[in-house]
Amino acid sequence: MQFCRVRSVAEAVDELSRWGTEGRILAGGTDVMPQYLRGEQSPAALIDISGIDGLQGISEVGGVTSIGALVTMRRLATASLVQLRYPALAQAAALVGAWQTQTVATLGGNICSAAATADTLPALLVADAQLMLVSKSGRRRVSLEELLEGPGVTALRPTELLRAVEVEPLGERGAEGYVKVSRRSAMDLAVVGLALRLSVTPSGVISGVRIALCGGARAAHRVPTAESLLLGSQLSGDIDVFGAVGEELARAVGPAVSPEAHYRRRVLRGLFDRLARRCTAQIPGASG
Amino acid sequence: MLVQPSERDVTIRLVVNDRAHQFDVDAGETLLGALRERLGLTGPKEACYEGECGACTVLVDGGPVASCILAAGSMSGRAVRTVEGLARAAELTTLQQAFVRHAAVQCGYCTPGVLMVLTALLDEVPDPCESDIRRALAGNICRCTGYQQIVEAALDAAASVQP
Repeated sequence: MQFCRVRSVAEAVDELSRWGTEGRILAGGTDVMPQYLRGEQSPAALIDISGIDGLQGISEVGGVTSIGALVTMRRLATASLVQLRYPALAQAAALVGAWQTQTVATLGGNICSAAATADTLPALLVADAQLMLVSKSGRRRVSLEELLEGPGVTALRPTELLRAVEVEPLGERGAEGYVKVSRRSAMDLAVVGLALRLSVTPSGVISGVRIALCGGARAAHRVPTAESLLLGSQLSGDIDVFGAVGEELARAVGPAVSPEAHYRRRVLRGLFDRLARRCTAQIPGASG
Repeated sequence: MLVQPSERDVTIRLVVNDRAHQFDVDAGETLLGALRERLGLTGPKEACYEGECGACTVLVDGGPVASCILAAGSMSGRAVRTVEGLARAAELTTLQQAFVRHAAVQCGYCTPGVLMVLTALLDEVPDPCESDIRRALAGNICRCTGYQQIVEAALDAAASVQP
């Protein structure tokens, strides 16, 4: 195996086109290195992108936030811009592994590994994340929803590099959050993770809903059938609606084919109820 | 095996415990392997070897990392601190002294990693509460102490540097 340390995006895409499927991008390495050390992966080259300064920043242009692929979980969890305008993402990043993981694990890595349990993916899905991809033959922009094809499977081409992620901030009359159930509170993968983003009109009508899940048999995904149940509801003690949405989410994670799947279905109703109440309590005048 | 000799070398330059080093590592080598076998720093421990237990924790640019799953090749330009780099001129840090006072060490295998995480915490939050300490330690497994003495030592260390 060869270790290729690249210093720029141009060098990175050169190496990627040279190695193709034989190359593996190394960023924080919290997925790639354990897989290599266990003998599950034996790439001909590790392409180390961790030294590319241009992939490190968080910037705001025209109301859209662009997050560099190398921004770490620790930075997402602690940056005030993320906490304020993308709270679900900050909460999800704070739940990835432990501090040791968060110091080095990157947003780009979480996206490109596309584990079914990846905590940041539901939070990115409710922020309508768009991915900026670059290869030697050009650039393209793909929504996260399009990118995720299955657990660990993405539409990313072997020669492509994820440069940045653009996310849509939470509106003024909105709230969002991420909650997770796992067996151990740190260093454990999600049995189920749930992100919710709500927008509410001044009269308390829910005018925007995005709900996304991770931890099931599929890659992280939105649940349109559950979203439509909530859309248009009046936020005044609409407890029945929350219950129906929880039921719909339980259906969406698929049949209870294993004890874990059964548990996932059971726990989702309560999890949604807790998250929905937490979110609605944050919207001024909508908690009545 | 920490060092796999069949692999191609990569030269790294980094600072470890305030001393500059330059040496070759193998492509798949871990930072833990490089520290222990090339620099003789055996404070960071190999235990789970998959980034789950925290015994190998060192600080990279001030942040705690699991050195057993970190690629040594990507460490060029970084500043690493291991447990050997805490005491100055044979004087233990406030945190280390508190560990001694509270008998926060039993078998000692997790101690170097625990000290590094708590050092990072106290750098960031000089007056942590108990839940800050327990959250910071979530990635460090100790099978002897039940964590109680460790938490008490950290609280004591924080209190003894407050004005």
